[in-house]
Amino acid sequence: MWYNKCVDLLTVSVTARESAGEPYTLVEIAGEADVTNTDELRRLLDEEVSQQPRTLIIDLSGLRFMDSSALHALLRVNRALDRQGGVLALVSPQPAVAKILRLTTADRLIPVFGSVAEAAAG
Amino acid sequence: MAKPRGANLRDSKRPPVSRFPGPDGDAPVPSLPSPDPDDPMSYSYTTDLAAIRAVVHRYAVQAGLTESRAIDLTLAVSEVAANTIKHAKSPGSLKIWYDAKEIVCQIRDEGVITDPMAGRREPSLDAQGGHGLWIVNQVCDQVEMQSDENGTTIRLHMNLPRRGAGQ
Repeated sequence: MWYNKCVDLLTVSVTARESAGEPYTLVEIAGEADVTNTDELRRLLDEEVSQQPRTLIIDLSGLRFMDSSALHALLRVNRALDRQGGVLALVSPQPAVAKILRLTTADRLIPVFGSVAEAAAG
Repeated sequence: MAKPRGANLRDSKRPPVSRFPGPDGDAPVPSLPSPDPDDPMSYSYTTDLAAIRAVVHRYAVQAGLTESRAIDLTLAVSEVAANTIKHAKSPGSLKIWYDAKEIVCQIRDEGVITDPMAGRREPSLDAQGGHGLWIVNQVCDQVEMQSDENGTTIRLHMNLPRRGAGQ
């Protein structure tokens, strides 16, 4: 575990990094992500993006809720990775999170997988 | 968020929105009817969105919404309350009431929405914001919005399943 950063109800953990020789970078987001903690979420994700991973996997299995502010943070990561030749993948959204991904069609833009292993296999 | 209450809009000279969407279209009405029932549940909030979501979800399930629709209503209220945090300079208030037919969440704050189409257009995924009120309009059965220089009131309605309908 590289770090485990908790802001109010949101916990962001980086459990694998390409820059440390792992096959992908894995970020776990848990709790509730909304406008009150989006700045911190964006900052932590930007740190990972700046290391230019080819595959960034975000595990959402512990995330109970995500609002449109947090969604924009994910879309921003997707755009940044796209520009630098990387890929973003999402894993295991709970129903409330799956709903906002579907409503906004973000799930057609960013691939969503049932497990980290599937996401890693592409 | 979609500029519903962005500073540029707040400062614009356009008249504020007064809208009451319904079967006849978006005919403006002078005011919303006073909140119904007997003693609606009332909450004031500043940045405690998680607490607001917990309350809404609890009442939504208690009123008889399915889990999936309770999640929808929770998301909608959270998005509206997030607008308060982003654009209004004062706390917001939430009232919840329900009867046999519907559950209603009314959110009021001192922000001003001047775009009559706020939340009615689907924003691009490349947009920097704008999904909040659009999502609200997608998941709720009816959205009423009234805004003037004194603030904004948004009412979200969700129809309840008919009892005994095998729900």
